[in-house]
Amino acid sequence: MTVLRAEALSVALRQGGAEIPVLNRIDLALAPGRVLGLVGESGAGKSMIGRTVAQLLPPHFAVSGGKLEFAGRDLVSMPPRARRALLGREIAFIPQEPLTALNPVRTIGSQFAEHFARLGEGDHRARTVAALEAVHLPDPAGLLARYPHQLSGGMCQRVLIAMAFASRPKLVVADEPTTALDVTIQARIMELMQEMRARDGTAVLFITHDLRLAAQVCDDIAVLYAGSVVEQGPAAAVLGGPRHPYTRCLQLAIPAMTGPRRALLALPEQMPGLRAMTTLRGCRFAPRCPLAAEQCRAAPPPLGTEDHRAACFRAELTPTIAPPEETLATHIQPGNPVLDVAGLGKRFRTGSLFRPGHMDAVSEASLAIASGEFVAVVGESGSGKSTLGRLLVGLERPTAGRILLAGRDVTAGTEADRRHRVRNVQMVFQDPQSALNPRRRVAAIMTQAMEAVGAPAAERARRAAELLAEMGLAPETGARSPAQLSGGQRQRVNIARALCTVPPLLVADEIVSGLDVSVQAQLLNLLRRLRAELDFALLFISHDLAVVRHVCDRVLVMHRGRIVEHGPTEQVFAAPRHEYTRTLLDSMPKDFPMA
Amino acid sequence: MIRRSLRSGRVIAGGLIVLAVLACALAAPWLAPHDPDEQNLLTTLLPASWQAGGDPAYWLGTDSLGRDVLSRLLFGARVAMSVALIAAFGAMIVGAALAYLAGYVGGWLDWLVGRAVDVWMSFPPVILSLILMTGLGTGLRNVILAIVLVDWTRFCRVLRSEVIVVARRDYVAAARLVGFSHWRTVSREIVPATIPLVVTLLTLEMGIAVVVEAILSFVGLGVRSDQIAWGQMIADGRDAIYQAPWNLLAPVLAIFFTVAGFNLLGDGLRRSLDVRMTEGRE
Repeated sequence: MTVLRAEALSVALRQGGAEIPVLNRIDLALAPGRVLGLVGESGAGKSMIGRTVAQLLPPHFAVSGGKLEFAGRDLVSMPPRARRALLGREIAFIPQEPLTALNPVRTIGSQFAEHFARLGEGDHRARTVAALEAVHLPDPAGLLARYPHQLSGGMCQRVLIAMAFASRPKLVVADEPTTALDVTIQARIMELMQEMRARDGTAVLFITHDLRLAAQVCDDIAVLYAGSVVEQGPAAAVLGGPRHPYTRCLQLAIPAMTGPRRALLALPEQMPGLRAMTTLRGCRFAPRCPLAAEQCRAAPPPLGTEDHRAACFRAELTPTIAPPEETLATHIQPGNPVLDVAGLGKRFRTGSLFRPGHMDAVSEASLAIASGEFVAVVGESGSGKSTLGRLLVGLERPTAGRILLAGRDVTAGTEADRRHRVRNVQMVFQDPQSALNPRRRVAAIMTQAMEAVGAPAAERARRAAELLAEMGLAPETGARSPAQLSGGQRQRVNIARALCTVPPLLVADEIVSGLDVSVQAQLLNLLRRLRAELDFALLFISHDLAVVRHVCDRVLVMHRGRIVEHGPTEQVFAAPRHEYTRTLLDSMPKDFPMA
Repeated sequence: MIRRSLRSGRVIAGGLIVLAVLACALAAPWLAPHDPDEQNLLTTLLPASWQAGGDPAYWLGTDSLGRDVLSRLLFGARVAMSVALIAAFGAMIVGAALAYLAGYVGGWLDWLVGRAVDVWMSFPPVILSLILMTGLGTGLRNVILAIVLVDWTRFCRVLRSEVIVVARRDYVAAARLVGFSHWRTVSREIVPATIPLVVTLLTLEMGIAVVVEAILSFVGLGVRSDQIAWGQMIADGRDAIYQAPWNLLAPVLAIFFTVAGFNLLGDGLRRSLDVRMTEGRE
C-alpha cells in the first residue's frame, strides 16, 4: 500500500511552441508513516515535484507524461473538482514562508474555523484548541484571537503544522519548512513533525536542500539533479555510502561539525539551466563530475531497480572521490590588534512620543580582533549580531561604549572618523542582489573605492583585472552587469569590492547563507585562499555553526544582544560553557557518518 | 532601456503626437496662412471652408474679429508647448530636489518636507493657481510660475517614496563605506535608479500643464490678452458656436490631442521603464 506513487512522471515548460523538460521520468513511492526526502540544490526540480502533487504548477508548466497516483487514484487525470476536494483534506501542505502563508488580516481562530468549515466538520473551537495544543503552543485558547503578525515565525509555522495535521491527512508535503527559521526552532519543528506523523501514520514528502537535516528526518531519500533522480534509497544507505558522485560531492562540500577540519570539495561551475539541459545528450552531471568518462557523455545512465540505486555508469568508483588535500595553513599567528571594542551598546527607541520605550539590540559587547585573525559572531535572528557589524563599520551609531579601530577611537563617527574607517574597515553585505547596483558594470562596482578618491580609469581597470583573477572570475565578467551573473559570482563581486583596497578588517554579514552548498564551498575555499594571500582580519557573522567552525579561529556567541560566550572555535564547540551555546550546538543536525 | 521603450506602441503614438504639436509650434510663422493678429472685419465669424458659406482662404474659418482660426491655432501651440516644457521642468526641479533631500537625509527634514507637501496638497490645485495668478498678474512667465508652485508636490510625494526605497538598498550603504561623499552617493547611486520615474512624471506633468494653462487663459487669468492661447480661443469661440463651430472645436481638439499625446507617452514610458511591470515579460 503506497500513499503516493510517481511513475515516469515528467513535467515540461511550454514556451513559444517548444517543450522544455523540467522533470525527467521521476519514479517515487511513499508508504504510510514514512518520510521521503527530496534533496538537491536550487533548480534541481525538488519543489516542482511538491508543486505537481499540490497542483500548484506555475503558468506554462504542465505534466507531460507518466503517472502520479495518490492512494491508487491518478492525480493527473482526475477532474479539478475531485482534486481540490483532496487538497487540504487528505493531502496537506507546510509551506516555506510561514508568515506569508497565513492571512495577515484574520485571526488564527477564524482561519482555523474556515479550514474546519471546508472540511465539513463542526465544533471548531474545541478541536482548534486541541490541534494547537498538539503542537505545543502555549495558551492555545488565547491564541485564537491573535493575528499572525503578533506571533513569531516559529509559532506561525507551528500553527500551520497544526492546520496541516488537523484533518488527519494521508500525505503531508513539507517544502523547506524550516529554511526561514532559526536552528533551535528548526529542531523543535522537526520533533513536532515526527510526533504528528507517529500519531496519525501520515506519510511525509520532505523537500529540503539540507543534507544533514534530511539524514536526521527521512526514512528514504531521493537525490535530484537537473530534473532527474540520480540516487534513491534508504536514507542510511544513501548518505552513509553514496553511490552517485553528485551525492558524494555534496557531502564533501559541507563543512563538518566534528572531527578534524578538512578542505571542502567545491564542484566547478553550477547546475545547467533548463535550456542548457536539453542540449546535453549524456549524464547531466557529467560536465561537473570528477569521474566523468567518454561513456557518460554519450547516453544518460539508467537509474536501475535495486533498493539503493544510482544513475551512474561508474558508481563503484564513487567512494574514491576524496576531498582536496588541506594545503593552507589554518592557524596564522595573530599580529597587532586591529579592533578593540569595549562595553558597546545600541539602544533603539521604540514606541511613541507619549509612551516611550526602548530596545537594546546590543549591550555591553566587548571584543578584540588582531590583524589576520578570523573571528565569528554566531547567534540566531534578533540576537544583535548584524547590529554589532553595522556598529563597527559605522552604519549605526553606538549609544554606549567605545570602538578603537586601528589605533583610533571612532566611536563618535565624525567626518574624520569616517575617513579613517574607509581605509581600515569594509563590509560584505548579505544579499548581493541588494548590495550590487544593478545599473553598474562589475568592474566599476569592484573598484568603487578607487572612484571615491578619483583614481584614473587605467589604474582602476588594472585593479579590476587583478581582483577578477583573485576572485576566480573570468576576465570578461568585468564588463557584465550584476543581473547577468549567478548568485555565487555576485557574492564574489561583493567580496571583491570590500577587498579592493585590502582593508585591515573585513566585516562579513551572513555572506554564504542562501547559497547552495556547492557554491558555499567555493566561497569558503575562496575566503581561506584569500586569507593566505592577503593580510586582513575577518569578523564573520553567521548563523551556521558548521561554516563558522570551518572558517574561523575564534567564536563569539550572541544571545539577546549580549556576548554570552567566546573562545577558540574548537574549544567552544567541544566544551560549551554557556547554556545557550549548548542548546545551539544540540539543535544542529548531526554529521552523517562518512565513508 | 531606450530601445525597450521604443518597442511600445503607446510611446510611439504619444511621441508622434507630441512631436507633431511641437513642430507646429516651432514652424508656426511658416505654416500659418495668415498673420494670426490680422483682423478683417468684413469676414468675421466665417465657418470652416468645407461648410456652407466658408471661404477657401480661411480653412478653419475666422473668429469674431475676422482673424484666421488655423493661424491662431498654430501660434497658440507655442504658448501651450512653452508652458508644458518649462513649467513641467520647473516643477520637476523643485519637487525632485526636495524629494532627494528628504528621502536621503530623512529624519526631521523628511518630516518637514512631508508636512509641507500635505499642507500644499490640501488646497484644490485649480483654486490655488487662480489665487496665485490674481496675486502675480497675467503673463506667460507668471502662468509658468504658478504651475511650478502648485505642481512641485506631485513630483515630491511620488519621488520621495521611491528615493526612500532605493536609499535603503545595501549598495547605497556600501557606496558610503568605500568613501563616497553624500553628493556622489546620491548622484551616482540613487538618482540613476529613479530616472525612469522622473521621466514618466515629467511627461504626465506636461499634459497637466497644458490643461492648467488653458483653464487660466479661459478665465482670463492666463497669458496677456495680446498673446494667443488655446484657452482664450475657447472663451472667444463660445458665443459663436452656432455660426462658426470650429472657433470652439479647433482649440478644444488641439488641447485634447496634445494632452492625450503626453499621457500616452507617459503611460507607455511607465510601462516600459518600470522594472516591476516588465519583470514578468522578460
